[in-house]
Amino acid sequence: MFDFLFVPLYNIDMITQEKLTILTESAKYDVSCSSSGSARKNAGGVGNGYIAGCCHSFTPDGRCVSLLKILLSNDCVYDCKYCPNRVSADVPRATATPDEICELTMDFYKRNYIEGLFLSSAVTKNPDFTMEQLLLVVKKLRTEYGFHGYIHLKGIPKADPALNRSAALYADRMSYNVELPTEKSLKLLAPQKSKESLLLPMKTLTRERAQFVEEKRKKQVSGHFLPAGQTTQMIVGATPEADGQILRLTQALYRKMQLKRVYYSSYVPVVQDSLLPDKCTGQLREHRLYQADWLLRFYGFSVEEIVTEGENLALEYDPKCAWALKNMHLFPVEINRASLEELLRVPGIGGRSAQKIIQARAYTTLTFESLVKMRVALKRAKHFITCNGKFFGAKNETAVRGLLISAENGENAVQENLFSLLPDTGAVSEKKILFSDRQNALSALTGEL
Amino acid sequence: MFYLFDGSENGFLTAFLLAFQDKNARISSKSAQLLLGQEPVFVRTDDDRAQRAKARLLSFDNGCHKDLNALLRCGREDNEQVAFEYLRFLAQKKRPVRGMLAEPAVYRAVEYIKKVGLEIHHFHGFIRFIECESGALYAPFEPDNDICDLLVPHFRARLPAFPFVLHDVKRKKAAVYDGANAFLAPLEKAEIMISADESAWQGLWKKYYSAVNIPSRERLKQMRGYMPARYWKYMPERS
Repeated sequence: MFDFLFVPLYNIDMITQEKLTILTESAKYDVSCSSSGSARKNAGGVGNGYIAGCCHSFTPDGRCVSLLKILLSNDCVYDCKYCPNRVSADVPRATATPDEICELTMDFYKRNYIEGLFLSSAVTKNPDFTMEQLLLVVKKLRTEYGFHGYIHLKGIPKADPALNRSAALYADRMSYNVELPTEKSLKLLAPQKSKESLLLPMKTLTRERAQFVEEKRKKQVSGHFLPAGQTTQMIVGATPEADGQILRLTQALYRKMQLKRVYYSSYVPVVQDSLLPDKCTGQLREHRLYQADWLLRFYGFSVEEIVTEGENLALEYDPKCAWALKNMHLFPVEINRASLEELLRVPGIGGRSAQKIIQARAYTTLTFESLVKMRVALKRAKHFITCNGKFFGAKNETAVRGLLISAENGENAVQENLFSLLPDTGAVSEKKILFSDRQNALSALTGEL
Repeated sequence: MFYLFDGSENGFLTAFLLAFQDKNARISSKSAQLLLGQEPVFVRTDDDRAQRAKARLLSFDNGCHKDLNALLRCGREDNEQVAFEYLRFLAQKKRPVRGMLAEPAVYRAVEYIKKVGLEIHHFHGFIRFIECESGALYAPFEPDNDICDLLVPHFRARLPAFPFVLHDVKRKKAAVYDGANAFLAPLEKAEIMISADESAWQGLWKKYYSAVNIPSRERLKQMRGYMPARYWKYMPERS
């Protein structure tokens, strides 16, 4: 008669450590981890959005853990040349049940380990089937489990648009990976994917989102439709496209598709294939692309100002320095008079410093000393500004160039990367790679799996 | 002169009034700050005078109470001195001074206020709850600043059905949410019964943490920069 009081001691849907490991290992190279952009409210149940995003931990590789980044399955039917989970690869396979993923998300979230779920999957059986499975998980999580935290869902190319639309009603953000910057490269390395199959769902979702926002404004619909928008990711260096070309695509994605972010992952050679280069793409190149990406999004630059189409970004210094060196006639600017736009174009001065300067100079004339006290970084900036008429930088352009390069060398994170400039570390010889690294490098080829 | 007060806000404001004209005033609630042989002024908290001082300060800058609150919570040795100099500067200028970032009294205060705000944001992420047998969540932690009650609204909004305890182990106090109301309580040591599944979930979390790392791209310095080692003690993945 007390049957109804029975509570199972063990959670029946608890995922095993082995499965969790396989599905995480296969998902971890997806670069995106952001949990920002959604202000979803708690409506009973568990969780809410955190508009600024929130990092819950940091791994020894210096990356943040914000979302539970996991694949529903790594059992792929595709055979993309660069992918560790391609059907012809000999790797352990696993598939989780929707309840396993839901339980895991709920229990991690409750303990404040994570800000939400980043769910992706290999293409199992066919795109529609895979998308249905993903949809099943997010729907279950939202409706049965009452989860209102962040969900980032990876879209499956070539899946039925109706499935994507349904998923968008539950997810905070969706992403399709562009993978490679041109159609030609895609044909070569990922023959089952085409530019159209990757861009079309993005376009459709962008249009549907705009429509939803409009209808919501008129109070014809309620709920959410991808409140945190869409992102994408591409591999850099597997194919010969120049930075200029990559950044032009990036700019188009921001302007035409209203993407929130474009992520880059530098290519590491592991699969022996005559179609793939045998050289590592330095992480420094990836770093420079991100810096240029920031200039596009937050500093009012257009790609045409930064780099020509066939050109790569300079590796010796950041793209803003490179731009400033080409435009020395615009400098130095007077810190007490320059507009916000002008300040933002000074190398070394970021959004926060620019704001501080504008705020503080309303009360007093700023000197070099006051900038130091206000903790405005001046290592680069001093060559491009005057403080109350006084100039503290180097006398000529050659000296400025040299000092900017040494400023880069002084910064640890980048210094490490500068080794990738050395010619002999570029090519990775088979023998040098330890097994674990090789495994890693295999998976590192792409975030999309 | 050295002005020693009881650590309360009214105590601080009383000391503020006493020390206002004193160019060499040192204000603190920590007697450890005293130099050997120094004779302090023991400030007796006067609630009425304190409230009048507060009203006057608010008339210059409505937001200064928030600043004072953050500064008194700041865990730095000289936080009260910084608060004193900031508010004295405000009283002299008789208008908001927050934007005068080139002034020492202002940029020091702004720096400390930011530290407190940043740590609150950090602990929105770094808090680790342990599930108790009753279903309640318990999180011990040791923040630099006195912020445990300031974390409550965040967790209450996202976990409304779960009673939880945020235990500042260093300051021996806890912010408690009982499922309906939140309050502060002194708490030296908590004895909890963990739930049957707790260690299994912790095990999965540790497994996840090590699986999601990319060993060939080790950057420990960066990790420590983002997540200082002093916070690791109560995080299962790092302890």
